[in-house]
Amino acid sequence: MRAPFRLQFEQRTETPRRLGVLVPLISVLAALFAGALFLLATGHSVGDTYSNMLSDGFFSSTGITDTLGLSTVLICTGIAAAFAFQMNLYNIGGEGQLYVGMIGATWFGLFFGENLPSFIMIPLVLIGGALCGAAWIAIPAWVRARLGTSEIVTTLLLTYVAASLVNHFIYRSGSYFRAPNSMFPQGRQVPDSAMLSPIGDTKMYPTFFVIVLLSLALHWVVRRTEFGYRIQVISDSPRAARYAGISARRTTVQVMLISGGLAGLGGATLIVGSFQRLDPGIVTLGYGYAGIVIAALARNNMAAVVVSGILFAGLRSGGDKLQISTDTPIHIGVMLQGAILLFALGGEAFRRYKIRIVRTPAVVSEATA
Amino acid sequence: MNQNIWVLMTGDSVALATTLILAALGALFTERSGVLNLGVEGVLLTAAISSFIAADSSGSVWVGLIVGSLAGALLAGIHAILAVVLRANQIVSGLALVIFGTGLANYLGKPYEGKTISVKLTDMTFGPLTDIPLLGPILFEQDIITYVALAAAVLSSLYLFRTRPGLEVRATGDDPATVDAQGLMVSTIRIRYTLFGGLLMGLGGSWLMLAESAAWHQAATTNGVGWIALALVVFASWRPIRLVLGAVLFGFTLQLPYTLQAENITFIPQAFLQMVPYVATLISLIALSRPGSTNALGAPKSLGVPFVRDER
Amino acid sequence: MTSSTYEGAQGPHHASGAAPVALEAIGVVKRFPGVLANDDVNFDIRVGEVHTLLGENGAGKSTLASMLCGLYQPDAGRILRNGAPIQLSSPRAGLQHGIAMVHQHFRLVDRFTVAENVVLGSRGLSFKLNRAELNDAVAAVADTYGLPVDPTATVGDLSVGQRQRVEIVKALYQGAEILLLDEPTAVLVPAEVEKLFENVHAMTKTGKSVVFISHKLGEVARISDRVTVLRNGRVTGHVSSKGQADAKELARLMVGRDIDLAAQRASHPIGHEVLQIREVSLVANGVNVLSNISFNVHEGEMVGIAGVAGNGQRELADVIAGLLSPTSGTISIGGAMSTDRGPIASRELGLAYVPEDRLGVGLVPSMSILDNLLLTRDRNVVVDRASVRPEANRLIDEFEIKANGPEHLARKLSGGNAQKVLLARELSGGRTATKLLVVCSPTRGLDVGAIETVRRLLDDARSAGQAILLISEDLDEIMSLADRVLVIYRGAIVHETPGATASLEQVGAAMAGLSQAGGA
Repeated sequence: MRAPFRLQFEQRTETPRRLGVLVPLISVLAALFAGALFLLATGHSVGDTYSNMLSDGFFSSTGITDTLGLSTVLICTGIAAAFAFQMNLYNIGGEGQLYVGMIGATWFGLFFGENLPSFIMIPLVLIGGALCGAAWIAIPAWVRARLGTSEIVTTLLLTYVAASLVNHFIYRSGSYFRAPNSMFPQGRQVPDSAMLSPIGDTKMYPTFFVIVLLSLALHWVVRRTEFGYRIQVISDSPRAARYAGISARRTTVQVMLISGGLAGLGGATLIVGSFQRLDPGIVTLGYGYAGIVIAALARNNMAAVVVSGILFAGLRSGGDKLQISTDTPIHIGVMLQGAILLFALGGEAFRRYKIRIVRTPAVVSEATA
Repeated sequence: MNQNIWVLMTGDSVALATTLILAALGALFTERSGVLNLGVEGVLLTAAISSFIAADSSGSVWVGLIVGSLAGALLAGIHAILAVVLRANQIVSGLALVIFGTGLANYLGKPYEGKTISVKLTDMTFGPLTDIPLLGPILFEQDIITYVALAAAVLSSLYLFRTRPGLEVRATGDDPATVDAQGLMVSTIRIRYTLFGGLLMGLGGSWLMLAESAAWHQAATTNGVGWIALALVVFASWRPIRLVLGAVLFGFTLQLPYTLQAENITFIPQAFLQMVPYVATLISLIALSRPGSTNALGAPKSLGVPFVRDER
Repeated sequence: MTSSTYEGAQGPHHASGAAPVALEAIGVVKRFPGVLANDDVNFDIRVGEVHTLLGENGAGKSTLASMLCGLYQPDAGRILRNGAPIQLSSPRAGLQHGIAMVHQHFRLVDRFTVAENVVLGSRGLSFKLNRAELNDAVAAVADTYGLPVDPTATVGDLSVGQRQRVEIVKALYQGAEILLLDEPTAVLVPAEVEKLFENVHAMTKTGKSVVFISHKLGEVARISDRVTVLRNGRVTGHVSSKGQADAKELARLMVGRDIDLAAQRASHPIGHEVLQIREVSLVANGVNVLSNISFNVHEGEMVGIAGVAGNGQRELADVIAGLLSPTSGTISIGGAMSTDRGPIASRELGLAYVPEDRLGVGLVPSMSILDNLLLTRDRNVVVDRASVRPEANRLIDEFEIKANGPEHLARKLSGGNAQKVLLARELSGGRTATKLLVVCSPTRGLDVGAIETVRRLLDDARSAGQAILLISEDLDEIMSLADRVLVIYRGAIVHETPGATASLEQVGAAMAGLSQAGGA
């Protein structure tokens, strides 16, 4: 039984630049369209849902600032994922590294915060969180470089361990991180010197600008420096890297540590920003996983992650507010994110290959014996 | 130490292992054909909620199991289209499936939050056999799906290594170019096994819901079991029989916190006990690594690599 | 050159005239993006005949063969089997008509046994596999044609020659009457080539037809009943004097002009010793990959290392380049020790290395020519591309590289141009001027124009005083270029002789492991 047509894939030697932007764009639209169909099928109003999402996400003054505020951590986890993914190192444990970053940042805040002024504390907390995130990825990085163990599963498993850690630090009575004198378990707030004030009466913090600059700086590093050159060689052609005397092993560890550190940094921005304490609710938010979707949509380009991150922050922010404004479950937001990624992946095929429909020739006539 | 509790615990481990075995077998078949489907966690959740809704509304456990399995196959079908037909990056596609599947499951499960299911899968009894000391309760007091899982593992082993289609799927995972040159359709084979893998995963997720949890608590229902299943395939070197052994071992670790709690051993903090399965998986993965390649021992050589026929 | 005569196929019709035509292509055309691979080609093969398709790389012979077996479909023209027109939509269809091709790159699953590979995909294979039965069946087919194989052996463990035999057994098992062999002798030593010819003879005696696809004039002349020559996609001539084909005539048809087959050998003054290898051995996984290798190379000298692929050439090149550390022995470049110091240290001492794989090892496919030039050079923390650009432009001109400037991506270069980029980069050196050039299989897969250019570049470099180590599986290449010829077999140097007086028989025998302890 043979189909009359078959798809023929021809690897493109030239990839038109416009497709690089067009494909993600169409994916978003396609996902929104599919989402609309789904909403209809499950009996929710498309118009209400989408218009509320969009205005709450982007097109209102509180909407856009809320979005930008949320995007701070999402861009962080996005560049964390993108930095590693570009070298085919699939760090999907950004979620866990974020948790550990939060734990570390909180600890630095609580331990030093009483005695040191703000202009030292803020950088200390941020860097401390980043270092802890890097520490959390250290083992997967090492075994990947040395033993070839798949970083996909190792980083993921550690995420679950990190979640247990967060729970342990909050629910264990007498824990350092736990707020004393409170009815039910919650995190202890860090001292004032470790906190930033929001910009005006928005939910945005100055860390937003720091993170955006960091993303652009990393973009420059990848394109223009020796380190970035090495990354490009190894990701395209590990054998060429060996030939050129480039140590893939060392670069692997370096890239993964930076990736973990960026995710930890994301956690730290939450401590100096909106959270101000170690909150066990963080494990339900999935910021780390969102980073992966953001990175994939931005095709692992550090600068594009900023745009992609803001877009996703808007979707989430708008989606979260749906709870209040309509009866659509907020999970539509998460579904849309997954759907956008799925469509983007499909769209990639069109970018990388020229796909033609080829008619298969008529059935072979039996040879005369 | 009360000997009976260990017997009971082993019995429970075998039970818990059921989901692991089914999900891992599903992943094993998919990967044997060369496709890496990381979306197991999402598939399990979607299947779980689907089976819940189906069983609850129909009043039949069997309807729940069937619907759940089909839901699993459907979700895996998305991955099949992306990975096989469109030659997308299989790792990112699998992750997208986890995210999408988790969101979908939570979305569908919203109305059922915290509800307990009205029907449940019960253990089968084999009468006097359960009185055999030690082995009795372990082997003969499980529900039917557990037996199905064990049987499936044995049949899978025979299928893969003793039949023609088994030869073909193994060849497809190692060297699709050769299979293609022999006139076999690589894409068809891969799609078929990805779907079948999803079916098995779906059955595992449904079982988890219908036999074990009985209540919908969002993502906590599966709690990382899908990822352990993926590691289990590596641990078993892609061989079904070894997979069963590994599943029981890991089932053991998943069961540990509850058993120790029952025995009133409380000096180990709960949180650390919960970490045990994941840390154990991590350590065994590392121990099985083969320096010089990112595919562990026994891995299909073309795993995760999209097949494009070299058409010049 | 050789004195053995070859008794061609004598089918049942030899006395009265030609045997019936088993397979025929009429007016066949095949286009690929940017190239007309086959232009109105006619070709036929008779029952019991050996017919060779001769042509240089890129002439279109593989394309034609692929259409004859069903791998490609012609854009125009017809294919006839036993006189009846057929449509070959896939290799499977080809097999249904009894046509099978054995490719240059074998299609075998390394992990499976010989028998499993032979039966994979065959029609009528039962659902349950009975291993014993299958092993016997495979052995039976193999024995019929004198192709000894062990059905239970794992293919991954077999040598190249043995694997080729498995491929042939596979084709025969699956019912092929017409076999197309794509460059079968490229991977064989002269002795194995003889064995192959014997097997082909056994096959044609029973009425099978064999199409040889080759670019090697010498062998073609001996084995073929007929030769069809292709150039640039068109048939330029047929020759059907069995065993007596004129090499010069064939060469002219292949290339379009007279080429001088005699080696050109000018004498070159040689200078100081540049490379010294002393008792280098390499043991990996318990196997002696390299055994006690010692030789040297001087300024202005080209030393050629001949051998069949897989006898340690890659490892030797890697060891010299500093990519691998030998288990014992020393390497010195320009008088300084380079053993165990890594590839960058070797380059600082003046080594340049053109590896076998152009794209993927020597060049990074997704990077531009400019970035690839930087690959083996020192780079600053902030990579300074601007300063390399003028040099890149100069090299592109000097080496006549067809590209749109330094930003041209490596993967878009043709094989010949990629090789030129590699040579340009390696010859021009980095911080240190190049003193020693190690080059591996430089002309593999290139068309004649590119081959000539590359050889000329190497020759010029030698004349300019460069020391060159040429490692190649192409014996003709080494014989025509090298001042001294060494033969490597199973990781050891088994023969050494000056290029001018080298005897093909001795070198060939050494390549097959049949030499006495090497003497010049």
